[in-house]
Amino acid sequence: MRYVLRRLGFYLLAAWASLTMNFVIPRLAPGDPATAMFARFEGRISPEALVALKTAFGFTDAPWHVQYFTYLKHLLTGDFGLSYAYYPSPVTEVIGTGLLWTLGLAGCAVIISFAVGTMLGVLAAWNRGGWLDSALAPALAFLGAFPYFWLAMLALYLFGFGLGWFPLRHAYSHDVEPGATLTFIADVGRHAVLPAASIVVATLGGWMLSMRNTMVAVLGTDTLRLAHAKGLPPRQVMLRYAARNALLPNVTGFGMALGFVLSGSLLTEIVFSYPGTGYLLILAVRNQDYPLMQGLFLVITLAVLAANFAVDLLCLWLDPRTRAHA
Amino acid sequence: MRPAGLIASTLFLLLCAACSNEPRPRPPGTLFVSVEQQSAWVRNFNPLFPGAGSRWPTRAGVYECLELYTPSKGDFQPWLATGHAWSEDRRTLRFTLREGVRWSDGKAFTAEDVAYTFQLLRKHAALDAGGVWRFLSDVRAEGPHTVAFQFSRTFIPGFGDLAAQPIVPRHIWELVADPVTFTNPNPVATGPFTQVSVFRNQVYELSRNPYYWQPGKPAVRALRFLAFPTNDQANLALVEGEVDWAGNFVPAVDRTFVSKDPKHHARWFPLFGSTVFLYPNTTQPPLNDVRVRKALSMALDRERLVEIAMYGYTRPADATGLNDAYTGWRDAAVADDAWVRHDAKEAARLLDEAGLTRGPDGLRRQADGSPLTLDIEVVGGWSDWVRAGQVVARDLRKLGLQAQLRTYEFSAWQARLQKGEFQLAISWSLDGPTPYTFYKWMLSSATVRPVGEVAPANWQRYGDKETDALLERFEVTDSREEQQALMAQVQRRFSETAPAIPLFPNPSWGESNSKRFTGFPTEANPYARLSPHAEPDSLLVLTALVPREAP
Repeated sequence: MRYVLRRLGFYLLAAWASLTMNFVIPRLAPGDPATAMFARFEGRISPEALVALKTAFGFTDAPWHVQYFTYLKHLLTGDFGLSYAYYPSPVTEVIGTGLLWTLGLAGCAVIISFAVGTMLGVLAAWNRGGWLDSALAPALAFLGAFPYFWLAMLALYLFGFGLGWFPLRHAYSHDVEPGATLTFIADVGRHAVLPAASIVVATLGGWMLSMRNTMVAVLGTDTLRLAHAKGLPPRQVMLRYAARNALLPNVTGFGMALGFVLSGSLLTEIVFSYPGTGYLLILAVRNQDYPLMQGLFLVITLAVLAANFAVDLLCLWLDPRTRAHA
Repeated sequence: MRPAGLIASTLFLLLCAACSNEPRPRPPGTLFVSVEQQSAWVRNFNPLFPGAGSRWPTRAGVYECLELYTPSKGDFQPWLATGHAWSEDRRTLRFTLREGVRWSDGKAFTAEDVAYTFQLLRKHAALDAGGVWRFLSDVRAEGPHTVAFQFSRTFIPGFGDLAAQPIVPRHIWELVADPVTFTNPNPVATGPFTQVSVFRNQVYELSRNPYYWQPGKPAVRALRFLAFPTNDQANLALVEGEVDWAGNFVPAVDRTFVSKDPKHHARWFPLFGSTVFLYPNTTQPPLNDVRVRKALSMALDRERLVEIAMYGYTRPADATGLNDAYTGWRDAAVADDAWVRHDAKEAARLLDEAGLTRGPDGLRRQADGSPLTLDIEVVGGWSDWVRAGQVVARDLRKLGLQAQLRTYEFSAWQARLQKGEFQLAISWSLDGPTPYTFYKWMLSSATVRPVGEVAPANWQRYGDKETDALLERFEVTDSREEQQALMAQVQRRFSETAPAIPLFPNPSWGESNSKRFTGFPTEANPYARLSPHAEPDSLLVLTALVPREAP
């Protein structure tokens, strides 16, 4: 219990530090949001509007320390303010357009990729030199080495444009009414196949290789020899003894990957026109949209920290040694 | 393993069922438009705030303005107002409003609404995009169908700003606490499409205004907008025939789009976009010397430049710098001036004359012998400008100038440009209904800001006293002949002083698919610009389109 509390304290400290960075870094970039917004019109609105925009965003001229405390206060109350890029829509509404879709798509893809990749790694190490080990592992590593953008475009071109099996864009059809109906769920599923599959294919090799390599090392240890000697069934030895011990590094990696789900699926979103937070993040940076940036970074920070905390707890369960130290 | 296998196979079956679904027929009479590029839509129909937040066509389609300016015709046409008249002393402008116009909630549209809209602009400076309260002193309704604008000084070009303002209903906006931050989710307006019938993160649909004032219009039943995050996705939908009307840049458009269905697919890229300039910082030697600026201009092979940078979609700029929206204003004699034509010999002569002679290494030096380097600044990701910058740098190097292209991230580039901390930069220019706006931000001393202070335009920081006087006279005359004569003189001054180096006018991108709808503007029938970005012409197109099959 004390260990858990200590970890929790550490995470709170980390959260504060990253929130402060989150406040400082955007403000070090050149330019200001009003001019950025003005510039997007490339002369289609009159220069007088620049003054008008500055009036609207006037509050950003306050001194830094004042801005910092209002920032913290607003974070605690869940008030992220109004997005500049989507002015005057509230940041929460803007993030809301993409958050669930990103979580759903990239989250599922990462979980599938981790589960399948890890299992394949276990099997490859267990049957070392078999076809899984000698053919699939290098093949997946080869696929993973392609630039993701290219892989996704290829998938879209082949299965969407060429064969017409899957839709070319969006998370659901524009003429389907969203709701808890089978049609809508099936529609969402059909739209998610290509983007999710492209993420899985691109990341599967990494999980498989790292699992296989740790597993091979674990297979050579005395514990395993003892387990075999005791006459345990091979399947139990493979899963409960070897895989469980070898899983630790992969679980840590999984925690990291889960945390970065929210920021890392930009290319998927662009190629498949999928709504999501990755695109919003780029847009926020491009438009000096501090409120939107801060809102997104907060969500991402919290996701990374929460995922790591969950992994810590998972390790505690998987690895008795951490419990002994606690 | 068992339950997992079961779930997996159920999911698989479900997916197969979904896959086998045939595409549903398109709703009849629904026009698919691609204007904005976003990964998800945010619900905002605020027509007053000039920022980018509101969904298209809030400012010209949901809401409407008093009179419409159409660059293809070069004139205004009546809309919510049937006409306007200046008072004898040119200090009062009266608009006569159309009778029988109703808001989409059924209430009558009156002069009170117009007056209230402008009062809102006065109260909330952030809404006053055109800066109308710099020249207005009062606005009031004179009866239900006349609204009078009192000017604080005679300022004829102010008419354009007043006519273009989207008008909001008083009875709704009176109750809005802060019109600047109001997202107006359910607009009440006078335009042809006011009812938000669908709004989801990837699609929104606008349906007809039940009380629209043009009888029988619009013939289009609804407008539908799909979210495309990038040009590529939008272009794919256009080529596939899913989108009926778009305003995107399409590379090799005739091959990739028009040739797919030449009967229905059409594009029209008139040169109504803002002219792109190479801006010299005239506060720095040697760019403060007009001979040097003209030499730089003559060093450029613009024919090649438009071919490489713009795929030949435009033409080299002439010596007036004006785009084709001002064809009626262009002075043919000025337009032919030599300083925008490629002439390397004359350019070299001018540079020698200005004291920038070649050293033994072939490189030109400043008059005091110090080495001369010229940096051309562009935005890193804007590939057309980057290509233009490369051509410019190459042409200048041929003259013995050490010119190089520097790419900056957008906001850094913008900050340097606005503060005057650059040597040469590529950027756009400003437009209005008359060339007044364009030349004001090219030559007027009133727009010159000191180096270090942010300038919204006139980045070259050049002011010309003679032009000031001409523009002042332009501000107080409403005779077209006199305006024309004054503008001809301003063009002459522009050509003589060469405050900035014009490269090419931008095309206004517009593509249409007439498979389901007819009546799009074309080069033969230019009743409006085809580009949906072009507001307020979009109102003309939206009310002119007719579905081929009756819904």
